[in-house]
Formats: sequence, C-alpha cells, structure tokens
Amino acid sequence: MHARRLSAFLVAAFALTALGGAGTTRAADPPEIVIGSILPLTGPLAQTGAGLRAAQELARDLVNGHVSYPLPMVGRSGLPHLGHARIKLVFADSQAKPDQARAAAEQLITQDHVVALIGTYASSTTATASQVAERYGIPFLNPDSTAPGLTARGLKWFFRATPNDATFADNFYQFFAELKKTKKIDVKRVAIVGEDGLFGSGAGDAEEQIGKKLGYDIVTRVAYSATTTEVNAEVQKVKAASPDVIIIASYLPDSLLYMRGFKEQGVAPKAILAQDAGFIDPGFVRTLGADAEGVFTREVFSLSIKHRNQSVPLVDQLFRQRFGDKPLDGNTARSIMGVLILADALDRAGSTKPDAIRTALQKTNIPGKLTLMPWNRVHFDATGQNDGGAGIIEQVQDGKYETVWPSDVAVRAPIWPMPAWKR
Amino acid sequence: MRAHLIALGAIVVVVAAAVFGLRSAVALDLLFTLLLYAVLGQSWNWISGYGGNISFGHAIFFGCGAYASALCVTHGLSPWLAIPAGALVAALLAIVTGFPTLALRGHYFSIATIAVAALVDAFVRTTPWLGKATGFELPIAPGWATMQFPQKGTYVALALILFAAVQLATMALERSRMGYYLRALRANHAAAAAVGIDERRVKLVAFAWSATMAAVAGVLYAQYTLFVDPPSTIALAISIDIALIGVVGGIGTLWGPAVGALVYVVLAKAVALQLGGAGKGYDLVIYGAIICLIAALRPYGIVGTIVDALRRRRGAEAAA
Amino acid sequence: MDALATPAQLLVGGLLTGLVFALVAVGLTLIYGVMDVVNFAHGEYLMLAMYATLALALLGIGPLVGLPLVAIALFLFGIVVYRVFIRRLLAGPPEATVFGTFGMLVLLQGLAQATLTSDYQSIPNPPFHGTIRVGAIAVSQATLIEGIGALVLTAALFAFVEFTETGRAMRAVAEDRIAATLMGIDVQRINGLAFGIGAACVGAAGALLMLSYPVYPTVGAAFALTAFVVVALGGFGSIQGALVGALLVGLLEVFGGFYLSPELKLVPVYLAYLIVVLLRPQGLLGRR
Repeated sequence: MHARRLSAFLVAAFALTALGGAGTTRAADPPEIVIGSILPLTGPLAQTGAGLRAAQELARDLVNGHVSYPLPMVGRSGLPHLGHARIKLVFADSQAKPDQARAAAEQLITQDHVVALIGTYASSTTATASQVAERYGIPFLNPDSTAPGLTARGLKWFFRATPNDATFADNFYQFFAELKKTKKIDVKRVAIVGEDGLFGSGAGDAEEQIGKKLGYDIVTRVAYSATTTEVNAEVQKVKAASPDVIIIASYLPDSLLYMRGFKEQGVAPKAILAQDAGFIDPGFVRTLGADAEGVFTREVFSLSIKHRNQSVPLVDQLFRQRFGDKPLDGNTARSIMGVLILADALDRAGSTKPDAIRTALQKTNIPGKLTLMPWNRVHFDATGQNDGGAGIIEQVQDGKYETVWPSDVAVRAPIWPMPAWKR
Repeated sequence: MRAHLIALGAIVVVVAAAVFGLRSAVALDLLFTLLLYAVLGQSWNWISGYGGNISFGHAIFFGCGAYASALCVTHGLSPWLAIPAGALVAALLAIVTGFPTLALRGHYFSIATIAVAALVDAFVRTTPWLGKATGFELPIAPGWATMQFPQKGTYVALALILFAAVQLATMALERSRMGYYLRALRANHAAAAAVGIDERRVKLVAFAWSATMAAVAGVLYAQYTLFVDPPSTIALAISIDIALIGVVGGIGTLWGPAVGALVYVVLAKAVALQLGGAGKGYDLVIYGAIICLIAALRPYGIVGTIVDALRRRRGAEAAA
Repeated sequence: MDALATPAQLLVGGLLTGLVFALVAVGLTLIYGVMDVVNFAHGEYLMLAMYATLALALLGIGPLVGLPLVAIALFLFGIVVYRVFIRRLLAGPPEATVFGTFGMLVLLQGLAQATLTSDYQSIPNPPFHGTIRVGAIAVSQATLIEGIGALVLTAALFAFVEFTETGRAMRAVAEDRIAATLMGIDVQRINGLAFGIGAACVGAAGALLMLSYPVYPTVGAAFALTAFVVVALGGFGSIQGALVGALLVGLLEVFGGFYLSPELKLVPVYLAYLIVVLLRPQGLLGRR
C-alpha cells in the first residue's frame, strides 16, 4: 500500500525532471552571433570564473562598440563582414567538474545553437568540453588552459591561444641562457618542486624534460600534495640536493610553507623561480615581507606590457570599473584576448558556418603588438596551439613584482643571485 | 513487493519514453546523472544502509570501473570488457580491505574507509600506468564496440538498465536470507552473532556486491564523460556525495537512494540556475542548510519518514 | 656537515608537526569522548577561529593577546550550536550526527566563501617570524610557540577533565549516560559544556595557527582530516591518546616524506592507523 503511493510519487518526480529540462529551448536572435562560454561559475573556482565572465563581457562590448583601440576587432561596431552583426555571449557553468563542463558544452551546442565555444579555464574541464565540440564539429577557442597535453590529442576543432606549461618551462631555460651570455652566470643544478595535481605535475614534467634535453642537471624532483600543512621532509630533500636554482609550482599556503622552510633551514639557492599561482597571490608579498625579495615568477601578463601596447592601461581601467576595482590580470587579460581572437576569425570567415570559422581560425595571424599579451603573435600551428605564445618573468624587487624578462617589456634588470635571507 | 515492481516498471516506462521523446541534451544529461547517482547511492546503501557500516570511501569502487574502462580503451580493448574486469577488481578490493576493516564498529570503520581511499588515491597519483594526476582522456570513436553513442538517449537507456537491475537485486536482497542477516546484524550484532550469523562472511558478500555495482556505474560514467582522473572519480568529495545521496533519501530503504539522487540532482541544478554566475558560495550554503535540516528534523531521510508516517496511519486505522 | 644533522632535524620537525596536529585534535576528542559525536565540522570551527583572529589582528590585537577572546567566542558558539542543533541530532539515529555535522561543514564553508571570498588571507607582518638555532637544528619561532601552546592546552584540558567537579561529571556522562542521569547529573548541560569547551580548544588552535598559516574557506579540511586520524589512532575520547597519536602521525609523516617520497608521506600514517585499529580497535590509549 505505502509502496504504491511512493511509486506514484517517484514516477511523477522522474517525469518532472525530464520535462523540466525540455522546456528551455529557444532560438537564437538572427542579427546576433551567439558564442557559448563555459566557465566555473559555481564551485571551488567560482571567484575566478566571475572575473573571467566580466572580462569576456568587456571584450564583447569592445567588439560591439565603436571606440577604437589598437586591438583586433575593437571599435568597429560589431563584425563588419557580417553586416555589423553583434556578438552575444551565452554562459554555461562547468562547476570546475569535467562531467559538468561536458554537459555545458552539449547544452550550448544543441540548445543555444552557438557558432563557437570559448572557455573553460581549468585544464580538466577544457579536456571534456573540447571533446564535445569536436564531436559536433564546432570551433573551440581556449584562452587559458595550460596543460601541454590538450593540444596533443589530434583534435581538429580545438585552438589554444595561451602558451602552455612547456613554453613557460622553456622560458626559464631561455632566461638562464641569456644570463649566461650577458652576465657569464652559470646555472647547472636545478631542483624541481611541484604540487602533485594537474598543475604542478604538468609543469614539473615539462621542466624536467626540457631541462634534461638542454643538459641541465636535475638534482631532485619533489612532488607533494597541495593540501599538506607542513613541508619538513620536502625542504630537507631540496637542501640535500644543494641546487643552484629551485623551480617551484605551488598554491599560496604551500608557497608560504616552502619560503619559510627554506629560510629556516638555510636553503640558499642562487634563485627561486616560481610558476605563478601562490607566488603571485597578493598574500605572498604581504605575508612574507622582506623574505619575498628576489623571488622570480613567470607570468602570462603584466601591466608593464603598456610599453608595447598603449591600450593596456585603458582596458585595465574599463575592467576595474566593472569588477570591483580589481586590476586586469593574466587570467582576465587572456579571456579578453580569447573573445577578440574569435571575433577576428568570425569576421574574416564572413560566415557563421563552422567550417568557415575553423578555416579562418587556422589562418589567424595577429601581430604580438596588437595584443594585451607579451606574445610574438597569434598564429595556430597544426595542433591548434598558438605558436607565437610567450611568457614573462617577474622578480619581487622592493616589495613589487617587476618585469625583468624578456628585455622588450622588462622594466628592471634582474637581481642575481637573490639576496641572502634576513637574520 | 508487487507494488515495488510496479513502481520500477513505471519508472522504466517513463524514462524509456523520455529517451525516445526527448530531444533536449540537457534533459537527457540530467536523467543520466540521476540514474547514475541512484545506482551509486544504492550500491552504498547495501553496505552502509542495510549493513550499517558507513563508508566514506565508496568512490574507489566507482573509480575501479572508470579506470578499468580507461585502461581497456587505451590498450585497444573494448570497454565492454571493463564491466567484468572493473567489477572483479572492485569486488576483490572490497574483500581485501573489508576483511580486516568490516569488524570495526562505528566511526572506526568510517575513518578506516577514508584511510583506505586515501591510500588508493596516493597509489593512483603515483602510478604511471594509471595516468598519475593527469588521468586519461578517451579518444572519440563512436560505435557499439567502443561503447560510445552519438545519441545521448543510448547512455540513458544503459543507465536505466543498470538502475533497474540494481533495484531488482536490492528487492531480492530485502527478501533473501542475507538481507535478513544484515538487518539482524545492524539491529544487534551481538544477538545476531549469538544465533550463529557469521558477521564477517555476510558483510563481505554484501560489500563485494556493493563494490561491483559501483564499478559498473564507473564504466558507464567513463564512457559517457570520456575523461577519468583522480578528482572526478576517486576523491573523498565523490565518496561524500555518494554517502549523502544514500542518507538524504533514507538509509536502508529500497527507494531511498533514488529519492536522494533526485533531491541531489534537482537541487544542484536549481541552485546553479538560480544563483549560478554570482561567483559566490550560495550553492553550498543552501545545500548545507538542507542537509542540516534533514539531519535535525528528518533523520530517517525522506523515504524513511514517508514509510514511517504511512505505517503510523495504518496503525491508527487499525486501532480505530 | 654532521651525518646525524638531517635525521635530528627531521625528528624535531616531526615532533613539532605532531604538536600542531594535537592542537587541533584535543577539542575533537573531548567532544567525542563525552557524547559519542564525531564533529565533522571541526575543521570549519578552526576556520572560523582563524578568521576571528585575523579580524582582531586587523584591529591591532595580535594573535596571542587575541587567543583568549577567540577561545571565548568559540566557546559561546559551541554552546549555541549544541543547544540549537546537536541536541536534536543526538535524539535521532547515529547517522544523524554524522550527516548533521557534515551539513554544518558544507554550510559554514559556503557562508565563508559567500561573505569572505575564497581569497587567502594572513595577518600582515606576523610576529615570531624568526628562526631559533641550536647547533645544526633550526626551528621557526612560530612553530615552537604553536607546539608549546599544544602542550599547555592538552595539559590544561587533561587537568580539567581529571580534577574538577565538572570534569568528573563529563567522565561520568562519557562512561554511562543513563547512570549519570540517575546520579542527578544534567546530561544536556554537561554535553553543552563539553561541546563549548571542545570548540574553545579549536578556537585557541586557530589563533595560534594564524602565526604561520593563511586562512581561506576550506582551510579546515587540510587540518581536520589529519585530526580525525589522530583522534582515532590515539583512541576516541582520550586526551593523552590524542597527544600521543598526533606525535606519532607527525613523525611518520615527516620521516615517511623524507625517506619514502613526499608524495607518499601520508601512506605510513594511514597504514599505521589501519594496523593500530585492527590490532587494538579502541585505539592506542582508548578505553572499551
């Protein structure tokens, strides 16, 4: 008896779920070109996602508006070759989960009929969402995921604008080579430290491979869990290896543990070079004060790029107005570039047919000085990777992050070796 | 029993009709997720609901299936093979870890499952042939042999078959001698042992079956998502989601996990739709508040409460 | 350099790490001992305490001065939570406490994320950032202070439970709730007090941890998981057990990390837990 009532309830409930999803289909507005954006809008990366969304909306308004900047497709009142059609962004939430990103891509393609996809920040969600785009034959532009493997999958519809972790690792070694040439500084022994998730292990693998290929001595490789609360053993391992330089990939809490541990245990390499993340968090310098002096970190973006493109401070200003006075950073700048690169391809394609957009993306060739980034150019190789990507290296000098490499955007000379630990 | 069969039949008919009738990828995706979670919740329910050993590490069995699928595909084998292979590995893992730990009571068992799951996680993260932290991305190759389908409906149909099988198995469990033993052990393990019930054997069998179901769900998930890595399959967070689904609906009941999955999926989607993009943790706030309310006011879960109310009413009718 | 320098440093580091774990674990074990509740939101209480310490620091009150204030605030918070919430959970089946406290974990994390953002925050220019050197061994002042704090807290809690009237009542409730009621002990009051004191302990822990660690909405998880293992290893409800368990976990983690691999440093910890509870299900120093 009671089971039958329960069953009626269950059947009704299942039916309601099925219907609930069905009623939301709607057609795209004709004069607009709809781009689907997948971002972590809820979940652990929600805050980053909110910034990326604000950045993409700013880029959309720049394209649809008529104020011109030295940036591709900005200020031409929409897409001229498509009858000044305006671009429209439809957002879907990945929750930073691979399965949700996949569902979001499916929704955008089949229900919102988007002409292209952009997103998704986290490498694991980009992996699944881009697979869906591949299956439906819809171009996918990724502004910001750096796991090198993403462009090694033989996908035809996947394009990545950002340089990946291999490029960033390579940048460190280029920096060493330049130091050797200009200042006769010799770096041989390299210690690699990284958290054991996708970020740290991907970066560490690239650093190790490239370092070995170039003949550096990788004296130790330390992988650890980012949620650890102490790094006693890790610091002793690094100390025992007595490296010339330490290349490190950590989030903020663990970056502080390492910096304090190195100081406490008298680990004094000539330089500590970090893969951004914790080492560029505002809390890093604020907490460590003088102990942060001299730390190098790679970055994807710096406001010092204004020396190459004068629109950087203007875009920064616009972004601050929209997003609680937060300055433009590497993530938000790359998201803006992502929308602009897509708009540029759409306009050249002169069509919203997937094939035409894909062909246009393949022919993308935007000079570096027309971007917000330190890139040489935007041009996709056969794997879909932007082969003109490059990073910059900053150093904490007098409590501020100063660009020290490459020379055309550098504002200060690097201090090498880094200063000795205070007290 | 007949009513349960009718209910299951009705769900199968409605979902099957939805598979044919629905064009919406989103609705089908919701249905798939719902059925998958219902299976995982029921799998957890076998050992933690009927058995009374609350596990916080159930995701490792789900992971067995997902990783078996990934390994089959990357080694050029059909993922269909991953169903028996993953199930076998999961059952063995359940027996090997359950043999010592199932004798532990209460929180000691729960924390032991966290410890075991953490060891499995460390093993996967450091083992190159298991993809370490990167995991596996499965290449797109639609076809029956590769268990990849252009129509989402096919996945939903497979999930529906799995769900129906798991529900039937649970109905059988409830009527079987083992189900009776499990209930007796949960009510009073000392008394049950006194009448000669072999606690370890009974629970090991339940644990092995429980692991098997989760592993099959893992294979289906891997083929659906085509991406397998530690945070999305074996992490503590997944284990906790599974346990929550089991508890919200009502533990130790036939329909509890399905109701729990429904609440979970509908809630997650509704919160994301209403508040998504706010960039804040309001989804967690609502979710946490609901769990708190259920635990404080409806500690027997939704199905437990309904069953209870009905029973009380019938009692009142009989008395009148 | 002396060949023994590294093991000696690891030993000191491991012990100090263990003391930090003990700091977080003692409150948890007290609550468990008295009312059989594993408070899964324990880490989130730690998070609240750390934010409270940060707020005081921004007002110019340092962590050590702020410690008693934070402990009192958490004590009151604990009492309210017990009265409004935990009491109801205890009336339900045993799973209710597990999922109720877990719901609280999710709720508090969500509230913190919604109101305080998920940014990492730490006290500006924290005191005690220097290093103390004895021979080849170096420890940071902050960690040393945290370790001393853990010893003081454990000793105080132990003395309270063993030698005061209320402490004796708590032990009576822990031993046998029904007998305690018959003896005229107000079980609800004792439970509420124990929950408040457990929360106050984690309040003190949070204040001390701000010396060396940033706070963010999910900071609790990093410490709480270890605390659960520590408490179970030492024996649920045993205060001395929590201290011994914590030191053991600290040593295993640090030595395991160095001689095995940092990636696998928790493997010896979890293996030790499994071995101990299999051989001695009540934990190292637990009763029953």
